[in-house]
Amino acid sequence: MANSNVGVLACSGEECLGGTISRLATRKMLEELRIDETVTLCLPLYLAGGEEERAFAKEYPVITVDGCSKCCAKRATEKYSGAVSATVIVSDILGEDVALSKTVSSKDLTEEHYKMVDKVAEEICKHFDRIISE
Amino acid sequence: MSKSYAILPCNGLDKCAGCISKEVALKLSETSESKIICPVLYRIADARYTKIAQEKPLLVIDGCATRCASKLAIEKGLKISEKINISDEAKANNITITNGLRLGEIELTLVNIINKKLTKEEEKVESESSFALPENIEYNLYKKDKFTFRTPKEGYYFNENDCWAYVIGNKARIGVGDFVQQSLSDIMFFTPPTVGSELEQFDEAGNVESGKAVFEVICPVSGTITAINEKLLEAPELINQSPYENGWIAEIELSDFDNDKDFLLDFTKYFDVLKRKVDEFHV
Amino acid sequence: MSKIKVVACSGIGKVYGLMAREAVLKITNESMPNETETVCLGHIVTGDAEAKEKIEGVSCITIDGCPALCAAKNVELAGGIVKVKYRTVDEMKTHRGVNAGTGTDLSEDGWKIVDELCDKVCVKINEILKEEK
Repeated sequence: MANSNVGVLACSGEECLGGTISRLATRKMLEELRIDETVTLCLPLYLAGGEEERAFAKEYPVITVDGCSKCCAKRATEKYSGAVSATVIVSDILGEDVALSKTVSSKDLTEEHYKMVDKVAEEICKHFDRIISE
Repeated sequence: MSKSYAILPCNGLDKCAGCISKEVALKLSETSESKIICPVLYRIADARYTKIAQEKPLLVIDGCATRCASKLAIEKGLKISEKINISDEAKANNITITNGLRLGEIELTLVNIINKKLTKEEEKVESESSFALPENIEYNLYKKDKFTFRTPKEGYYFNENDCWAYVIGNKARIGVGDFVQQSLSDIMFFTPPTVGSELEQFDEAGNVESGKAVFEVICPVSGTITAINEKLLEAPELINQSPYENGWIAEIELSDFDNDKDFLLDFTKYFDVLKRKVDEFHV
Repeated sequence: MSKIKVVACSGIGKVYGLMAREAVLKITNESMPNETETVCLGHIVTGDAEAKEKIEGVSCITIDGCPALCAAKNVELAGGIVKVKYRTVDEMKTHRGVNAGTGTDLSEDGWKIVDELCDKVCVKINEILKEEK
């Protein structure tokens, strides 16, 4: 029931491709890969004082998914709710050049982009499954 | 000067109420500058009526609870300014409509009553709110995932449709509960019940709509609507923000609360219902 | 003269957040790339120095998804001068019954609404630019 839930907090940053990939990989967790157990947390709402998002992150494990090494999602979670259970940084997985390249509208996504999303989602799943099994 | 509308009648042939809707539309177009939108033609070729629908406030005339005309308007993305339901008007005027499809004297009387109602100079019906908001409401919480469902512990009665009534003396305030606003997500439209209308327990008292669904407010109590929350017309999101307080929907003068109460749930019983619904529903 | 900053909430949970995001990308990458740029809301709120410098005392337009107004509130807090606040949920009010898509993908209708919003915002941007000359 509720105990198997894991929060996934993506940066969704608009300035670089890493933000787009972080968002899409998180949505993929919610819609495809771990449907019943994923709870997506909205970073803007979290930062703006969303009580429900912050309370959830205090009680349940959270994986943060950041586009770049600035790690906004990770730092915000640590500031408002405590330690994160796992961190995924898109630039570590895809390389800085790729992650920091120009962001892309969802209508312009290519096969290559979707492969990047899969790669990042796979990494999130690894952490997810480890957390659930603990 | 009387109002003029773009009129969308249901024009149904299933019941006499549909025939009456057509007659009301015809009479209104003769006694005012209103224009009729043919629902059948509009469904397949809406360009013909685009100008009329844009220039005049839309009056929807439904024959019965199926509300075909309202549904067509929503399907076409029209903003509904006013609604008439022939069956409701008949009931409110103690008129029994024939089972046949031909209009007799009784049905024509109803047509005249509705036409007078629509064409008279606007008399402001006193929409007086006579409630002070309850202070310091204590809530019980039920959490699922990141969502918290709040239920007030005292003073509120609920029906199984997640609508509530808060009673003071012979008046009540009604609204929708946390489960409704969480399920709907961002509420964008509010259609209020008509001030002055008489409702039985479990009648529809307006509706609220989000991008996900339309939710009919099922009135928990019987009585006459004395006020609506006009703030919701501009800011329906108040229901999301404060469903039990600032997001109240209407006030009602009670007619039969002693009997109505038998069919309502207090906090303890409703909380069990709520928990079950939340556990079954993926918010 | 510094570019006008157009900031989206990019909320992940609802389609309105995606609409806000796509509207900002269109305005800053396609419609008015010489006059506007975006700043990552995450950077602004976590106090990134570079982001703060871009925003402080500068004319901004925010596009939020819903009434929570995360972008508008946080840009103001960071010292941005928010000239206009938009909410994509308000655009939906003039398109009753339309399905705009999901938090992952916009429908065809969703894209049309985004395009309409972009046109509206661009008109406003031109007005602001005229005022500031």
